[in-house]
Amino acid sequence: MRHRKYAVLVSVLLVSLLLLSLGTRGGRLGRPGELLAFFITPLQATLSKIQSSALGTWSAYLDWKNARRENQALREELERLRIQSLQVEDTERENLRLRRLLALRDRLPLSTLAGEVIAKVWGGWVRSVTVNRGRSDGIARLTPAIVPEGLLGRVVEVRARAAVIQLLNDPSSAVAVMVQRTRTAGVAEGEPGGAVRLKFMARDGGGAQVGDLIVTSGLGGVFPKGLPVGRVIAVEDKGSALFHYARLHPVADFARVEEVLLLTGTTGADLLPHFSFEPLEPGA
Amino acid sequence: MRVSLALMLLGGGLAHTSVAPALRLGAVAPDIPLILTVLLGLRRGPEVGCLSGFVVGLLQDVAGGGFVGAQALTKALAGFVAGLIGERLLVGNPLVQVPGLVLLTLAEGLGRYWLLQLLHFPAAFGEVMLHVVLPQALYNGFLGAAGVLAVSVLEAYRSGSLWR
Repeated sequence: MRHRKYAVLVSVLLVSLLLLSLGTRGGRLGRPGELLAFFITPLQATLSKIQSSALGTWSAYLDWKNARRENQALREELERLRIQSLQVEDTERENLRLRRLLALRDRLPLSTLAGEVIAKVWGGWVRSVTVNRGRSDGIARLTPAIVPEGLLGRVVEVRARAAVIQLLNDPSSAVAVMVQRTRTAGVAEGEPGGAVRLKFMARDGGGAQVGDLIVTSGLGGVFPKGLPVGRVIAVEDKGSALFHYARLHPVADFARVEEVLLLTGTTGADLLPHFSFEPLEPGA
Repeated sequence: MRVSLALMLLGGGLAHTSVAPALRLGAVAPDIPLILTVLLGLRRGPEVGCLSGFVVGLLQDVAGGGFVGAQALTKALAGFVAGLIGERLLVGNPLVQVPGLVLLTLAEGLGRYWLLQLLHFPAAFGEVMLHVVLPQALYNGFLGAAGVLAVSVLEAYRSGSLWR
């Protein structure tokens, strides 16, 4: 019993040597490996299948995990690029707006001062914007404010470094205007609903039609003549009434205005030829 | 117990042709049957180590298409020696088992080379030791350490001491 382990060792070594001997010289059993392989090969094949299946599953899992990580990274990249694209687009639009404002400033035959909108009031009672130009810049009350498309409003309150501009559609706004085609005089008034209407006295051969351009008349001395105000989109015919009304679509986009020109100088010339009606689109 | 041992040996022997290639690092693949043999020898004694080495070695010989009996002999010897070491030394500590595994891998490589030299194996000793035996011994040590750790955790879990 004590020497059993050595007996096992000797037996195993002898068997091994016998197998080696048979295998190298060839004997009655042929290559013993072939006999053993007969039993082992199916097991090997089965194990190989199990292994390849397990590896396949693992590989599929890794692929899925990588794809998920990649997907996440691509989403983040897409989001970043989308924001970047929006920023570029925004800058491009701003650049275009400023270029148009600058071009208008160069064309106008009177002195102007550009201002940036720093606040907006968009309620039913008051509609105004505040710009970063004030008393220190030489801005006075009732200074007209324009955008590249036309009239925006007038300064109603001047502070040290800011000015409040009453918009055309403010309910208390009234601007002396005329129909550009017929020269019919009228008043463009703001409405509590945010629209602008034209109040005018229709005479024979005068009046307004849908599509007519309304410009400032220069009467009253506040606004220079020929500043575009809006286009007629509907006419309310009051029959024999003294005053007639027309609904206007203002040329200025009050909700989106960001930069303005303040007309600090005066002129008696008609300013309409200095305005162009281009769409505000990048590349336009 | 014997059935599980037999399954372990069969799996370990065949794993050499299926799992080991998947675990290779460059040109070096671990000798999983040898790791199994040495760890069994250390834990179960020379008889089990010797027989285990013989079985897995034989399976390797057959699967690999070499000289049938060569690895059976060297691994049987390695398992036996591991068993003898296990009887005489405290081998419960992984710090003993892992270096033991590395040394026995080197010894088995030397033994196999010597045996194959008798059968006119053509490769040079230095090349075999440098490119095959030594890297494999180190890899075996690394893999054996992982195996020992896994077995320790499993045993601790089964005895319930892991969570106490």
